[in-house]
Amino acid sequence: MKSMVSPHRLGALAVLIITAALVLAGCSAAQQPAAQQPAAQQPAAQQQPAASGPTLGARGFDKAVVSTEWLAENLNNPNVRIVEVSVVPGLYEKGHIPGAVNFVWHTDFVDTVSRDIVSPERFQELVRAAGISNDSTVVLYGDNNNWFAAWGAWVFLQYGANDVRLLDGSRAKWEAESRELAIVPPTPAAGTFTVAQRGNLRVKLPDVLQVVEGQQTKDLIDIRSPDEFSGKIFAPEGFPELAIRAGHIPGAVNIPWKQALNEDGTFKSVDELRALYAEKGIDGSTPVITYCRIGERASHTWFVLSQILGYDVALYDGSWTEWGNTVGVPIANPSGTVWGER
Amino acid sequence: MANSHLKRSPIARAALLSEHRGVLATGVAAVLLVALAAGAYALHGTAGRGAPSALTLLLGATLGIVFERGRFCYFCILRDGIERRNSGPLYAILMALAVSTVGYALVLGVFLPNPFSGRLPAQAHIGPVSWALALGGFVFGLGMALSGACVSGHLYRLGEGSTRAPFALLGATVGLGLGLLSWNPLYSLTIADAPVLWLPAWLGYGGATLAQLALIGGLALLLLRGVPELPARPALRLTPATLRDALLRQRWHPLATGAVVGAIGVIAYLRIEPLGVTSQLGSLARTALDGTGLAPERLNGLDTLAGCATAVVTTITDNGLLIGGLVLGSLAAALAAGRFQPERPTWRGSLTALTGGVMQGWGALIALGCTVGTLLSGIASFAVSGWVFAATMLVGVWLGIRLQLPTWGE
Repeated sequence: MKSMVSPHRLGALAVLIITAALVLAGCSAAQQPAAQQPAAQQPAAQQQPAASGPTLGARGFDKAVVSTEWLAENLNNPNVRIVEVSVVPGLYEKGHIPGAVNFVWHTDFVDTVSRDIVSPERFQELVRAAGISNDSTVVLYGDNNNWFAAWGAWVFLQYGANDVRLLDGSRAKWEAESRELAIVPPTPAAGTFTVAQRGNLRVKLPDVLQVVEGQQTKDLIDIRSPDEFSGKIFAPEGFPELAIRAGHIPGAVNIPWKQALNEDGTFKSVDELRALYAEKGIDGSTPVITYCRIGERASHTWFVLSQILGYDVALYDGSWTEWGNTVGVPIANPSGTVWGER
Repeated sequence: MANSHLKRSPIARAALLSEHRGVLATGVAAVLLVALAAGAYALHGTAGRGAPSALTLLLGATLGIVFERGRFCYFCILRDGIERRNSGPLYAILMALAVSTVGYALVLGVFLPNPFSGRLPAQAHIGPVSWALALGGFVFGLGMALSGACVSGHLYRLGEGSTRAPFALLGATVGLGLGLLSWNPLYSLTIADAPVLWLPAWLGYGGATLAQLALIGGLALLLLRGVPELPARPALRLTPATLRDALLRQRWHPLATGAVVGAIGVIAYLRIEPLGVTSQLGSLARTALDGTGLAPERLNGLDTLAGCATAVVTTITDNGLLIGGLVLGSLAAALAAGRFQPERPTWRGSLTALTGGVMQGWGALIALGCTVGTLLSGIASFAVSGWVFAATMLVGVWLGIRLQLPTWGE
């Protein structure tokens, strides 16, 4: 008991600590809402332009992908806005690329009620709060090899953003290089982004059905694993979203998404990518549709083909969970696996 | 300790012998600490592990040392208060809550700047408030009284050589498995619709911090009556020897103990995840059940709720590193303090520990955590569920002591 401090002194110390903490907590609480208000006051996108909207300009590796070095040099570039889209809880909070804002895939990029992408009104509100305008360079990155960041890029481009890029090597490379991380979220001044719909980046089930029935000529790429494609398995272990049939959309070719990446998670070179897809008959001469299980991994391949190689590509985000569950649409099931059969 | 006996010659030899043992034990403790540091270093360089795993191991070890040195055992502390009317040790818990409240407020202000956004802060142990939570807390409290400690208490006592602790921890794993079996009905019955109540969503961070500190301060004021008279202390010069005694030999002051526990909780949330000690055990139970076909294939909602989650795992999770570090840290501290004293196991002691462990395991699964995960990390993150667990656990402990459950195993 010799180490005891007198109760009086401890009491005083406690009061001091608590007071200091309250002051600090108060400050951090007072700072934050500023960024969100201006966007909320603005009326959301009123005009919903025709389906095609502004066309995508020419892309290419240098305009679609940024390296970690480039991003590190452009952290203070006022025209560059960084967006993290990770799905591991707490990842952004415990350290993000300085200046990056956090977009939550489950609520910010999809509509939580209808199975759809986020509404234009909500998207515009969120994007303005993130300090983004139509002329901003938007760099997205995230966990899981940028799957959800690629989905984010697809949504940004559908809603009229012009300069959308992915961080090469995703969050993993930035971390592996021990680059700077911040925990305090930025409080950007509101941007002026106005939604303009770009309509040819997405297809729905009837469009795909037309392709299958031969009324339209398009290449279908299934980017899932070979076992899912052949119908040996319904879904890899750990994925709860299922279809009650196994196999793939008739006519699709199987090019797993990961083949577009090097060992370290960076994109392969343009020549390698072009050869990879050409080998399976995808050379950009025919419009392409990509799909996967729920749509997020297919947006990765969508990004590679449309933004890096400049092909005409649409994402079928309904993907296998919609197609495989839909009554009366044809499937190809080489393995012959039947749901519930014992 | 041995010094005062040295003059008496009949005991002198025994004292000398124990002194030798003490040196040996301290040596082993030092080796353990070096091994823990080396383990952390190795984890840091291991692919798929890295800094978070290394830090988790070190935080676990620190927690083990603090728990052992401060005897931060929820049950013993509550028992002192209820049976002996000595509220002194309770200040360790209150201090831990106060420090982590302030620390969490600072961290939450960064993680989720706007508490009114309708979102909850990532990972924070903020659970649904239902009667199932209350029941879980109550059964957990009864189990503490029967087995003589809570899960975290048993973990650090394992390091002191307790022979009841292994039975209690085995029981807790079984109980967590039973909890998994009863999860789905309880989820449909009440947990799914229960409100998730979070104070900052109404009061903001400043208001919630003030409210919670007022509550903790009020409790501290009420409990002052039960603090025993402090002995007069002679003036003391700090020397390496007195410092060694204060750190390694004597029980740490409750306020110091609580402050360190609270600080570790904040660091864990900032860098890794909120503290909790049942997740690895629960995952063990879930993995074991997974192979048998006994467990429900789908645990509705369980994996989406924040708290001491379980998963089917085949490896040691970070939570496993935390509790492993805790046991080893406690062992090192106990060895250095001469408190590593394995006692002969008894049938009564083992059976009551096992049964109490089962009750705690079940309660911890239903309440999504124990005295660490739901009470400490929950209250720190301003969750009403943390307070509800604390209150109902207290009722269970009180009733258990009234029913003389602790004496069954002694």
